[in-house]
Amino acid sequence: MNGETIKTLVKDWRVVLVLLLVVGSLVGIYLAPPNPEKGIEGNLQFGLDLEGGSWLQMEFQSVVVAFSTDGSAGDLMEDLRTDLETEVIRIDENHLEIRKGVTQTDLEPIFAQSGASIVTYQKGVSEFTADEVKRILNEKVNALGMQDARINLLTPTGSDYPQYVRIELAGVDMATAQEIVGQQGLFEIRVQTTGNETEHVLYGDQITSVGVPQRDYDGRWGVGFSFTETGAEAFREAAIESGAVDNPDAHHLVMILDNETVYSAPLDRGLAGQLRSAPVSSLSASTGTGDAGLDDAMTLQIHLRAGALPVQVEIVGSGSVPAALGEQFKTTVALAGLLALLAVGIVVYYRYREPSIVIPMVAINLAEIVILLGIARFIIQLDLATIAGLIAVVGTGIDQLVIITDEVLHEGRVPSPNLYMKRYGRALGIIAIAAATVFIAMLPLALMDLSTLRGFAVVTILGVLIGILVTRPAYGKIIMAILSK
Amino acid sequence: MEFVRYDVNKYSPRQMVALPLVLLLLAGVLLGYTALATGLPITPGIDFAGGTAVTVFTSDSRETIEAAFAEYPVLSVGEGIGDGRYIQFGPMDDAQYQSLVGIINERYPDAKIDQIGETFGKTLQSQASLALVFSFIGMAVVVMIAFRNLVPAGTIVLAAFADIVITAGVMQIIGIPLSLGTTAALLMLIGYSVDSNILLTTRLLKRKGKLEEKLAGAFRTGIIMTTTTLTAIAAMWVVATAGQIQIIAEIASVLLIGLFVDLMNTWMLNAGILKNHILRGNKR
Repeated sequence: MNGETIKTLVKDWRVVLVLLLVVGSLVGIYLAPPNPEKGIEGNLQFGLDLEGGSWLQMEFQSVVVAFSTDGSAGDLMEDLRTDLETEVIRIDENHLEIRKGVTQTDLEPIFAQSGASIVTYQKGVSEFTADEVKRILNEKVNALGMQDARINLLTPTGSDYPQYVRIELAGVDMATAQEIVGQQGLFEIRVQTTGNETEHVLYGDQITSVGVPQRDYDGRWGVGFSFTETGAEAFREAAIESGAVDNPDAHHLVMILDNETVYSAPLDRGLAGQLRSAPVSSLSASTGTGDAGLDDAMTLQIHLRAGALPVQVEIVGSGSVPAALGEQFKTTVALAGLLALLAVGIVVYYRYREPSIVIPMVAINLAEIVILLGIARFIIQLDLATIAGLIAVVGTGIDQLVIITDEVLHEGRVPSPNLYMKRYGRALGIIAIAAATVFIAMLPLALMDLSTLRGFAVVTILGVLIGILVTRPAYGKIIMAILSK
Repeated sequence: MEFVRYDVNKYSPRQMVALPLVLLLLAGVLLGYTALATGLPITPGIDFAGGTAVTVFTSDSRETIEAAFAEYPVLSVGEGIGDGRYIQFGPMDDAQYQSLVGIINERYPDAKIDQIGETFGKTLQSQASLALVFSFIGMAVVVMIAFRNLVPAGTIVLAAFADIVITAGVMQIIGIPLSLGTTAALLMLIGYSVDSNILLTTRLLKRKGKLEEKLAGAFRTGIIMTTTTLTAIAAMWVVATAGQIQIIAEIASVLLIGLFVDLMNTWMLNAGILKNHILRGNKR
């Protein structure tokens, strides 16, 4: 290649674009931000199986039912609550979230008995509940100072509601991961006696259910909760003995979670009156009006549950990789990638025996991988399957460079520029159709929440796109410039 | 390379399509029979049937491992090159699973463990079949739009279908289970197989010149294309198998089988039908 050829090439926007993207990718991986202690890995994100850690996939024990009724929805909900002994939440006009893993067959008689019928039945929880689960898990993980946690809600394709939550914790073994998820805090209610002194009333085990934030007629937000019989009795006794029923303002009720005060307020006058005559088992803790009140109510609700999730979950899948093994896998896949590239280089050399074709081919292939990694760094973590996709891209990439080369070098001679452009266009046409099919074939896998092969599909699709839009057109230009000398 | 000696112009269309069609039929019968007997066309792996998979590096032999886990439902112990072992267990209840994890952690602290529940496996299964169906339909639509001619487009779709069915048949015979990884590989195959078929179809239908020459030229390019892909995948397979990376080894082996099957389907089935189509068109 002489100076003249290089000059023509550098002026071609296709070639310039490839160079820019390669440089940009390298900057993204190594310089923005600089990460020298990671060495050659730079800013690449690795999945659990290469980094080491544990994952748990849990299924919500809950269903969402669309119903129709001639009677009142409130009665239906009440019937469901008593029959199933579980929380029932109204999501909207005609959807209920039943926080128990009941089958449709078991639900039907209860609906029939309340003069209602089931329109649709789906496993899962409402967005609202799902977000709450995510927030609680996040809080737990953050409380332990863990940085590398990923919590994802998963909705199976074809369903409208999140049915699973997947949590990935880097650098944590399975036993610890299960402990974190299952762990509950110690919740206690105390009553103020004299000054700042408080006295124990009851523990969280006396709370049977916790509702969702609701607004009362004054516009104040609050969270309803109920006590067991013993709990209600203990609460009444403490309220009377401490003097809270007579002078609520001097005797706040204090809620404590893991030794931290999370709520403190006086008894409501009306409630104080009721407590004088009998134990009360259903209460509501109000948090104030407006958005601030709602936010506080949300937090309080989580605290009342003492870190327990609002719905029961069942572990349906789990796994762990020790960090040392992940490190070993990393080396192995890097080796596989290099070997694949080398092998491909040897095969094309064997076919063309012409360094001026083979070197640009391999170089373009390498550029494609660098650009792919540069984009991947921002959108996906590299796991084993993703790297398999990357290597598969090397395979298809070379495939299509061969199509271009053979198309333009028809009968072993370099054609005139006019004919060249025609053939080059035809080659790109073949590649475009092939690219479109790969894109479509991998799309379902890339869009599905449940597949752990998302990375594989995303990398394949990206590879195809970069190939057809950037690197292959550039290759056509390079090979033309080199051969037309 | 053995297949390079194959002369695409030597045989009549009828001879060319015979072998792929017979194999397609046989594979179809095998998968159909398995589906009737077990409910699934291919024996499912851990991902779809539920169970536990353990990857461990140890000098313990298969017998030692089987003896150590005699109380648990061991399905198979795979031995890689070197010290890698891949142990699969069938579904078990939570208590048994916890005790198994305890034993593994004690015996092989550096093991990779993955567990999938039985019902969750079923969900994954239905999601995977959904993906397969959507992919195939999507591919067919793209090909139809691209060629707007029933015979060539239909032939490409048939070749892709034959690729998947025959590859699945071979998987079932040599015992590669259906898992998330192998499903992805089958999807990938849809993309791969279309590559060389499109090249063939475009060259034969859109270029001018003698049929024999066009066919021979397309074949030369097609072979080198598939060989390079095969080489890349083979390299991946060798390293992943040696390094006991099960998911990559599975993906790679399905792609390897699929690419060989695709060579046959492209240069015998697809080429045969197209040749027949063009010859008949010329007579009219």
